[in-house]
Amino acid sequence: MINLLRSEWIKLRTVTMNWVLGIIAVAFPLLITLLTAFFASGNDGDGEGLDTEGLISVLTGTTVVAALLCGVIAAASITSEFGFGTIRPTFAATPRRLRVIVAKGAVVVAATTALAVVVQLIGWFVGGAVADSQGASIDLALVPTGVPAMIGAVVLTALMSLAGYALGLLTRSTPVAVSILIVWPLIAEGLIAQLLVLVAGNDSIPNWMPFQSGIRLVVVGSVDLGPSRPFAGIYFGLFALALAALGAWAVDRRDA
Amino acid sequence: MITVTDLSKRFGSKVAVDHLGFEVRPGVVTGFLGPNGSGKSTTMRCMLGLDRADGGQTLFDGQHYQSLHQPLHQVGSLLDAGYVHPGRSGRNHLRWLAASNGIGKRRIDETLEMVGLTAVAGERLRGYSLGMRQRLGLAAVLLGDPHTIILDEPANGLDPEGIRWIRDVLVHLAGQGRTVLVSSHQLSEMALMAQDLVVIGQGRLIEQSTVTDFVERHADRWVRVKSPAVESLRQSLEQRGGEVEPVDEHTLHVRGIDCATVGELAANQQLVLHELSPQTGSLEDAFLKATAAAQEYRSGEVGGRS
Repeated sequence: MINLLRSEWIKLRTVTMNWVLGIIAVAFPLLITLLTAFFASGNDGDGEGLDTEGLISVLTGTTVVAALLCGVIAAASITSEFGFGTIRPTFAATPRRLRVIVAKGAVVVAATTALAVVVQLIGWFVGGAVADSQGASIDLALVPTGVPAMIGAVVLTALMSLAGYALGLLTRSTPVAVSILIVWPLIAEGLIAQLLVLVAGNDSIPNWMPFQSGIRLVVVGSVDLGPSRPFAGIYFGLFALALAALGAWAVDRRDA
Repeated sequence: MITVTDLSKRFGSKVAVDHLGFEVRPGVVTGFLGPNGSGKSTTMRCMLGLDRADGGQTLFDGQHYQSLHQPLHQVGSLLDAGYVHPGRSGRNHLRWLAASNGIGKRRIDETLEMVGLTAVAGERLRGYSLGMRQRLGLAAVLLGDPHTIILDEPANGLDPEGIRWIRDVLVHLAGQGRTVLVSSHQLSEMALMAQDLVVIGQGRLIEQSTVTDFVERHADRWVRVKSPAVESLRQSLEQRGGEVEPVDEHTLHVRGIDCATVGELAANQQLVLHELSPQTGSLEDAFLKATAAAQEYRSGEVGGRS
């Protein structure tokens, strides 16, 4: 398995597009967070300057976009194999396909998770320092949900990567997988949720949609209806895992 | 030794491989021939477990491909030189393959050297010609120094020097006792490098034999005779039951009579002969004759010939 992990790591880091997307996934949340810390932290006496909760909210909120990008990286890591035909030499070199699928998934999820950790650490420490330098009062002890939200942002990134990878396994097509990855959380899930609310008359249904549930991982303030943060993470995680298992099963059965 | 037994593969209602069975022995190059759409590539993919066969099995020295621990050390395959990521360098393409089977960096350099790509190993594959990709594919095949080699159309896109090079490489590898199975449409090349043939059509085995036996069995044979008195000779040949085809004013092609008889007839009439030679059709002729009934896609006539 170590050989396979090494092989998949070489594959992942020898494609320029992965670097480009990875850099954007890191740069986007950091840039927004640091700019916000610099420009919105001014203590002008009206009490509306950036506080600790605000800083963490910006950081974890922008990490959602980064998580989507990481999902794209994960999806493309497998769809490009089918697109360029390299899946055939891959499976010829390792005929036990499930081992390849597990190794590739593990590598891409680990890599994107590492990116999310970097974003949270730099975002918090550098963002906090910038905000401090601008006169804001930043103190993590004042916001008990701060650390869980930042950990949640890392977990959300890992789970979005897993979901993207699963969509890649299922569709074998980069455009289709990426479209679903973008359209599902941003449009389709909301429409379906509203439809179900109309039919069932239960307002908490949107909170139980998979992606919406995952979003609760990064919420800094209190959450109202729906699952708690840990439960929401497990719920979304099981959803992504089930998709990945279905995708792995399909790839194992079908012609390469 | 490769043993294919009762292999079958169907795509919807189309039968691509139909209870196919053959053996490939070590020590010689075995040509895998068949018309377009005859199932050669599908067979090779099924042999390697890339396409899931509906029935039958393939054994490599008695083992299923799926049971091989690090297959690149035992079976090297090149099914399509285009199976590369254009954004990677040639060296990185080999690196991920090598890493998956625990093969070290030194072997990568060795194989790059063998196929003559060392100078361009760091360049991205989108800049490689088809011939360069074929060479890279062969480097990938050789990475694990396998005893069995399977190649699908390896000479596609190669220039004459490249074609000769790959022929020499394959003959050399077979000479080392390896099992080499090669599909190709370049029958003149196959005639030069293969000793055994597996010929299929519409997914079924048409024939498995040596190249010599195959040509002997299927190719046309005739006698070429050249004489200044060709008309007198023609009459006696026809009286003897020969089928005579004039080629030019001094040359005849004679079928139905062997070389010795033609010579005796000429001697009896005291006719001067400038040439008397037995002729045999090429592997291409033999192949076309053997697979005539199994041609899925047939060309129209060009210049009076079909």
